[in-house]
Amino acid sequence: MSASQLVGAETAKDLDEPGRGTSWLRYVAMKAGGSLFSLVMVVLLGFFAFRILPGDPVRSLADGRQVTAEQMDILRKQYGLDQPVIAQFWRYLTDLFRGNLGDSYTYNRPVMELILDRLGPTLLLTGTAAALSVVLGLWLGQRTAWRRGSMFDKAHTGIALTLWSVPTFWLGLLMLLIFGGTLHWFPTGGMVTAGSTATGLAYVWDVARHLTLPMLTMVAVVYAQYLMVMRASLLEEMSADYLVTARAKGLREDQVRRKHAVPNALLPTVTLIFLTLGGLIGGAVTVETVFSWPGLGYLTFQALSAPDFPLLQGTFVVFSSIVIIMNFFADILYRVLDPRLRTA
Amino acid sequence: MAFHETTEKLTPHSGAKGKPRRRLAAAVLAVSLAMAPLAVAPAANAATETPGTGTILKLALTGDIDSLNPFKAILASSTSILGLEYQSLVAYGPKNNEEIPGMADKWETSPDGKVWTFHMPKDRKWSDGEPITAKDAEWTFKAIQTNDALKQANGGLLESVASVQATDDETLILTLNEPQAPNPGTQLPIMPAHIWSKVPDPATFTNEKDSVGSGPFVISNYDKTSGVTLKANPNYWQGKAKIAGITYVPYKNTDAAVQALKTGEIDIVSSLTPAQYNALKNVDGITTNAGAGRRYQAIGINPGTQTHDGTPMGDGNPALHDLKVRQAIVMAIDNKTLLEKVMQGLGQPATGEVPAAYPLYHWDTKDLPLKYNVTAANALLDEAGYAKGSDGIRVDKQGAPLKLRLMGRNTDPTHQQMADYIKPWLKEIGIDVSTVMKSSAQVNDDSTVGNFDLYFTGWGMGPDPDFQLSINTCASRPNADGTGATSENNFCDPAYDAIYKAQHVELDQTKRSALVSQAQEMIHKSAVNDVMYYANSLEAYRSDKFAPFTTQPELGGVITSQNGPWSFYYATPMADVSSTNATSGGFNAAFVVVPLVIVLLAGGGFVLYRRRRTTSDERE
Repeated sequence: MSASQLVGAETAKDLDEPGRGTSWLRYVAMKAGGSLFSLVMVVLLGFFAFRILPGDPVRSLADGRQVTAEQMDILRKQYGLDQPVIAQFWRYLTDLFRGNLGDSYTYNRPVMELILDRLGPTLLLTGTAAALSVVLGLWLGQRTAWRRGSMFDKAHTGIALTLWSVPTFWLGLLMLLIFGGTLHWFPTGGMVTAGSTATGLAYVWDVARHLTLPMLTMVAVVYAQYLMVMRASLLEEMSADYLVTARAKGLREDQVRRKHAVPNALLPTVTLIFLTLGGLIGGAVTVETVFSWPGLGYLTFQALSAPDFPLLQGTFVVFSSIVIIMNFFADILYRVLDPRLRTA
Repeated sequence: MAFHETTEKLTPHSGAKGKPRRRLAAAVLAVSLAMAPLAVAPAANAATETPGTGTILKLALTGDIDSLNPFKAILASSTSILGLEYQSLVAYGPKNNEEIPGMADKWETSPDGKVWTFHMPKDRKWSDGEPITAKDAEWTFKAIQTNDALKQANGGLLESVASVQATDDETLILTLNEPQAPNPGTQLPIMPAHIWSKVPDPATFTNEKDSVGSGPFVISNYDKTSGVTLKANPNYWQGKAKIAGITYVPYKNTDAAVQALKTGEIDIVSSLTPAQYNALKNVDGITTNAGAGRRYQAIGINPGTQTHDGTPMGDGNPALHDLKVRQAIVMAIDNKTLLEKVMQGLGQPATGEVPAAYPLYHWDTKDLPLKYNVTAANALLDEAGYAKGSDGIRVDKQGAPLKLRLMGRNTDPTHQQMADYIKPWLKEIGIDVSTVMKSSAQVNDDSTVGNFDLYFTGWGMGPDPDFQLSINTCASRPNADGTGATSENNFCDPAYDAIYKAQHVELDQTKRSALVSQAQEMIHKSAVNDVMYYANSLEAYRSDKFAPFTTQPELGGVITSQNGPWSFYYATPMADVSSTNATSGGFNAAFVVVPLVIVLLAGGGFVLYRRRRTTSDERE
């Protein structure tokens, strides 16, 4: 995860090369075209990649139960698995164009419905965790850069990198054991108290209590990347001539940092934020499993074990689309934010 | 202490006093706004914690719910919940998994075992008060028979049924295609016709809210986030349960469920690992239970896999076609040590496929023909003509060293542990073993088409052994592409098929039990499926809240996943224990952390907003 995201940061920096000097329309069209191409690849890959997986979905559904060969044939026919792969692919494509992701074998319900049911909790968890880690990471990033080499810098980069290297499930289980099991401060799992009929504010409070541990686990693991990128880009700016000018104008150190250095250093960081947002949703799988969070992660796991082709294709297309769209936004945002590109 | 130093260094830089103060004021405002609603929330929360009256039994739902529609549900967690709501005509008792009255109070079989007549008492009611009649049973059977979409969950149970007829409200007659001894009234959940016949499409009906059933509990609600809630059915024919209801709390890993048991968020947790079980053994207020398991653990030995018409397939080592080689392997494996070391003694030594939890059909022998005996195993291989080479490895008939592959699942840590014992044991009889752990789906694929030498396998079983025995007949072997019938381990012997058929129609219990034991002995001697042990089901419950549960079987049985609703139906809350909520007492860190997070977010947003404004001011 870390490697790909750091690579993402690199490419983000190169983005201005093709963008410079071209017209807005051409830039957006180019980026949109690229995203569209990626989407088409995802749709193709989503079908064929999962067919290579081992396992016969019908046999897994029959696993350990009294099912005759005739019934398995009925199921195969029902799922269209008796058709040639090309025919199945055509059906998948035509359905997809109608916005239909098919029906899950395991759940017997439309895949779209299953995903939408679980998208909310996942977005809530990743959304709050992302917002918090961005705020924390950027704030600590600029502080540490400004005081490079100080105890503050060493301590914070040290802590952040340690947490970044810790396996998510291990940290999650540890948090669960300490704050849930031993200290009884927080519930040990789920999103709401089971069987509770709370509504309104009581419900919000209940969700907030359940959200705390998984969210803090996610924040602890991911905020380091924002800290490090912010720190690195601010360090780059710190030797720039315009800061000397700013200081010469008589601005206070705090103002030099906030008004001149940080806005420039934010550019690569904002792009990185959007690039990582999509990935975070996929990365939530582990946290969701540890804290029994009713999100998309567990659904994907369940889909893989069958293998439940329509559900796998559906979650794959949705996850990938989120990443692609986020990357597209990052491209656009980069141009919006960088005044040099805008005035060109 | 690092922070102490940094605050000193911070001060010279935070020069602009006016602005931080304004920011602080804004932050405080944000906090108080955020806190205001939350301050009143706990009171409202406390009111919702006791829905209705009486005790609710809370269980960890560690599996997933695929559907709560009995026609569709396949996953174990769903079917065990539905088992509380829907009864079959005939039930399995708590004492010994014996057949006892369910929805029918008596039944008889025609002398040839082809016609089964069930009598349904007339005074019984569904949970909504409508009378239960034989017409409900007739509707259920016919709905599945006439609609392929409804066959998913229980179609296999109806294969033998030729016709079904409710001659009046109290009599149901099942006519079978051929005589059979297993009672056709067990297992199939009977559904209320007055509800399901009015549903536009029974196959897509979710059945998740205020469901109507005949069992001791009925589903009142299912929500992906808050779990499944069931309430006691006042119309259950044996009387209303002592507890008010059951809540299944979703937990996606047992580690979290164990913690929840400790905090009192749930009352029972099952599927524990030996380590978790031992850790809970001495915890106050918690009692552990190691119930006799319904699953056997075995090693499948590839005897030369064939398709259903006898065409060889797969890449199994040809040396294993030799019965003596297979028998030597079985004799070289020390099942007792595996049970002691890998399962920490939490299980029973095995004989045949039917676990000891089902004494009616368990092959009870003290003297296994192929019991652990390395000397005899070596002698058998010598006699079969596999001489040991200079390195101690035997040479097969083609002159190549005798090398076998042992396949296991990477999802089950006990497979690797067992493999680590088995490898040196087989070396003692001159067989070189390499082990490989694969994904579950890959193991399923490879074992079906015979691409293995040895592999870890196992089956969970219901009280009647007929199905388990049937998948050892020649007809159960698959097609070349892995489709078709399901075979336990590609065993095929016409003599066995004859015994299978004999027990299938034997109405005399004693005679049938003897035939079932005989069938297991045949599989054992053929050394295709070396059953090693029956692992216990490891469970734990809050004994400070509930009296000891009824287990099935009565002695040394399981609490959860019973064949029937008994443990939960008979659940008795401890009278003197008020249902205290462990999480509500003491210091609640959520009061600190949740607002803190809101402050941080609000602060961050505010700063960003200001920054954006000031920079745009500067631009212009």
